[in-house]
Amino acid sequence: MTENETSVVMLGPRDRLIGELYIEGNLRVSGTLEGQIEATGDVDVTEAAMVKATVAGREVNVSGQVNGAVTASKKLVIGRSGSIVGDVRVPRLIMQDGASLSGNVSMGPKVAAEFAQAAAAEAAAPVEVAAAVQSATDGETAQEKQKPKKR
Amino acid sequence: MDTQHAVADTAPVEANADGVESRRDGSNKIMLGPGDSLDGKLNYNGHVTVQGQAQGEFRITGNFEVGSGATVKALIEGSNVTIKGDMEGMLTAREKLTLGKSAKLNGDVTVKRLQIEDGASFNGHVHMGSFEQSSGS
Repeated sequence: MTENETSVVMLGPRDRLIGELYIEGNLRVSGTLEGQIEATGDVDVTEAAMVKATVAGREVNVSGQVNGAVTASKKLVIGRSGSIVGDVRVPRLIMQDGASLSGNVSMGPKVAAEFAQAAAAEAAAPVEVAAAVQSATDGETAQEKQKPKKR
Repeated sequence: MDTQHAVADTAPVEANADGVESRRDGSNKIMLGPGDSLDGKLNYNGHVTVQGQAQGEFRITGNFEVGSGATVKALIEGSNVTIKGDMEGMLTAREKLTLGKSAKLNGDVTVKRLQIEDGASFNGHVHMGSFEQSSGS
């Protein structure tokens, strides 16, 4: 029910965006992007793209160049031509041979639990959904409690 | 002098004498099985595979592999490093580091190439490219 309307934003190879972008939907970048981007859906950075921004999305695919922190609530895939300079925060990370990455990587169940909590907080308005997400996160917070270090 | 040196060289391992290769494929190998453990410092000219437990400092010229089920807490320097088990510590791969789907890595890595398979878990800093440290042995 959350994905009845998904917008898709495409930036072509000659397009340029400097600033802050928030979209409820998917983003596909082939051009130049500077600033800050957040998408509730998937973010695709193609081979020709030059991104100098913090990138946040659900599933992030990088085949071009990204200079900035990357967060993905589901997973991040760095293709063989992809390059990231910046910190990466994801529950799942796939990196193909040839890809380049410089920065700090944080991943695993702890990060996944954090994303689930954030999603639960955001979905607080529709009661049933919030309850469903809450019960799902309960299991993960229990997992998190086992670890002494908790932020 | 010369003879002394030669004796010193050949004394510990007979197979290391000049021109004699210890394996048919021409490279040395250390293989630690699931029940084996190693604790200490190792400088080794060859490949190392760990399926049990290892702790310490390993600087090897060949490839290092941490098998699935293995637990390694160490400083590792190798050519190609493959991790399928649990690993904690600093890691340098002069060629390539591969994290398999069952890999769990905690620590900073310095690598030339890096491949991460889906399912692998990694926490640490990645440095890609230069190798100033490894040149002076």
